[in-house]
Amino acid sequence: MSDSLDLDALLGEVRERVRRKRERGIYGPDVEAMLRTELPGGRRLLSDDMKDPVGALAEALDDDVIYDPTSHKRFVGPLITLARRTLISLLRWWLAALTDRQERINRLLAATYDVEGRLAPRFGERLSRLEREWQQWREHEVAANLHSVYFQARFGGDEPVIREQSEHFIELFRGRRKVLDLGCGRGIFLTLLKERGVGGYGIDLDPKMVAQARERGLEAFEQDALAHLESLPSKSIDGLYARHIAEHVLPGDLVAMLRSLRRALQPGSPVVFVTPNVANLSVGAHTFWMDPSHLRPIPPDLFKFYLEVEGFRGVGIRTFEQSEQRLHEEFTDAKARDNARLLNQTLFGDRDYAVVGFQPDA
Amino acid sequence: MTAVHQFHPTLTPGDAMSDHILALRKRFQSWGYESEAYAVEVKPGLAIEGHSYRELFRLVQPDDTLVLHFSTGHEVFDELVRLSARRVLVFHNVTPAEFFVGINPHAAAHARLGARQLARLAPAIDLAIGVSEFNRRELETAGYEKTAAVPILIDWSRYDVEPDPEVRAVLAGVHTRLLFVGRISPHKRQDELIRMLAYYRRCIDPEALLTLVGSHRDQPQYYARLKALAETLGLGGAVRFTGSVSLPQLVGYYRASSCFVSLSEHEGFGVPLLESMHLGAPVVALDAAAVGETVDHAAVLLPEKDLAQTAEACALVNEDLGWRAALIDAGRERVKAFDPEKIAERTKKVMGL
Repeated sequence: MSDSLDLDALLGEVRERVRRKRERGIYGPDVEAMLRTELPGGRRLLSDDMKDPVGALAEALDDDVIYDPTSHKRFVGPLITLARRTLISLLRWWLAALTDRQERINRLLAATYDVEGRLAPRFGERLSRLEREWQQWREHEVAANLHSVYFQARFGGDEPVIREQSEHFIELFRGRRKVLDLGCGRGIFLTLLKERGVGGYGIDLDPKMVAQARERGLEAFEQDALAHLESLPSKSIDGLYARHIAEHVLPGDLVAMLRSLRRALQPGSPVVFVTPNVANLSVGAHTFWMDPSHLRPIPPDLFKFYLEVEGFRGVGIRTFEQSEQRLHEEFTDAKARDNARLLNQTLFGDRDYAVVGFQPDA
Repeated sequence: MTAVHQFHPTLTPGDAMSDHILALRKRFQSWGYESEAYAVEVKPGLAIEGHSYRELFRLVQPDDTLVLHFSTGHEVFDELVRLSARRVLVFHNVTPAEFFVGINPHAAAHARLGARQLARLAPAIDLAIGVSEFNRRELETAGYEKTAAVPILIDWSRYDVEPDPEVRAVLAGVHTRLLFVGRISPHKRQDELIRMLAYYRRCIDPEALLTLVGSHRDQPQYYARLKALAETLGLGGAVRFTGSVSLPQLVGYYRASSCFVSLSEHEGFGVPLLESMHLGAPVVALDAAAVGETVDHAAVLLPEKDLAQTAEACALVNEDLGWRAALIDAGRERVKAFDPEKIAERTKKVMGL
């Protein structure tokens, strides 16, 4: 990509030009109507009708078959016309059988939809009931009705702790120009980036968090993570940091995120996902579930596998955040010491881990 | 000596695909293979001698490679895949039938046949090459197991001709000279270009011209309707249909245009996009099918169809010399990725020659 060519900026300028013309009334309803002028001399293109199939179907059901057998060729024209007419009359009964079958299909299809372009009433009812139930189920699953402000105050991470955690990774992003912090929260990691002169921005679903980040003078937007990643142009960011995001999405969405990232990242860019270390049993069985919006624990080896399968290079796991509670290991007996160590690892090991990978070089 | 022979139903002088076949033939020969081009119909004026496909049945040996170029269905493909040889299919894409339904039943029927045949041939093909990643994915969907993407070979030196002076003279003194090159066909959406021109003349430059270069022989119905649309919109003389043009004329149009604009909804590769970049006309294009990957970041790529934005984008690259120069530079740089030497090397590697 050429450095002097910022196509996003160019498109921005184009949209601005259109907006100004609308404002000044140059581009008004009359021009819009002009742009909708249909192609004269026949039906609309089917490829256009496909964009509004239900409406077009209603029209098509009332359409007559148009075929003009007249040939306009010089001299032989009348002969061709006569031949065509004869053929048509010979084929009429066979064609009638075909049309009859098609008519059945058309009527049945039309009964599935009502001709005013809406789904048949019963179908619509069933669909909206399903949608309602699905929505409810999703809300129950993540306890969306919980007062999250209280929850944050009681269980949310301490700023110094998060800051210290984030510092583990800051070196990876040195010299980058557009790092995305997915689920940026109050912008702790973004602040670190800014302090070191690294360019970056964040997105978060929580409008309050986004507002706090903006108050700190950071670039943050309220948006869904997957939708944002999918909207990114290819090779438009050069790093990704996502702390405590992966456990809030289902595996399919996580894989979809990784795929979008593979497209959106410039060659050589680092990606870092931080998530609870469920290899530690007290995390996996207990603290992971302290947040009702956690959907699935992700074992470190599985996360590493996801990244590798999606084509990231140099994928590795780092663990950190020692547990506060630990068994003491100062036994004189070597066996007892080994046992205590093993127990510490499985029960009181590091509470978080990060999976780190890199977009392959072009 | 083993041979690498190529087949396409028709060989036509000046056609991008026939040129590709001739360029490949030259490469195969330079790598020490016997190589000829075969067709059902060879149009007069071809630079080499084209052979009848019938010769292949007695000629091809089991060690030979048979390269079948697929852009339209044809019963001969079914016969040729029965030949005992290594069978490679090069897929140049088939336009989906829905673009032709209700406007050209003949073309729609052919498109349907093509799509069906593509799927049917899959088990008989040893290697399928798409000329773009978009095409490669379609091959995968059609059931091909071993696939690769290799762009087509374009001999850039052929454009080093003196542009036709008449073309320049016709467009002289016109400030906005919009250009699209491609067969007149519903999937290329010349109708949308005409509507876009209506916006351009109403809201930007009342004297803007749109030149549509490309043959209308295969789509008489659509062509007639395009002309009627231009009349309805009061654009009588502002839309120019050139029909097929000679190479000096083509170069003349690219060189004389202020902007190349495409609203095509289906392109398997998009040679004119690259021709335009090579000849220094900035490109504004709808991001559809393979267009995005062909232009990469060297054109104004419109994420969705919006005629006002398309026109304003053309105007911006026409008026703002900074953007214009940056786009032209980026375009020249992009064309380097389609260096015939590199593509020939890749072809050789992918085909295991």
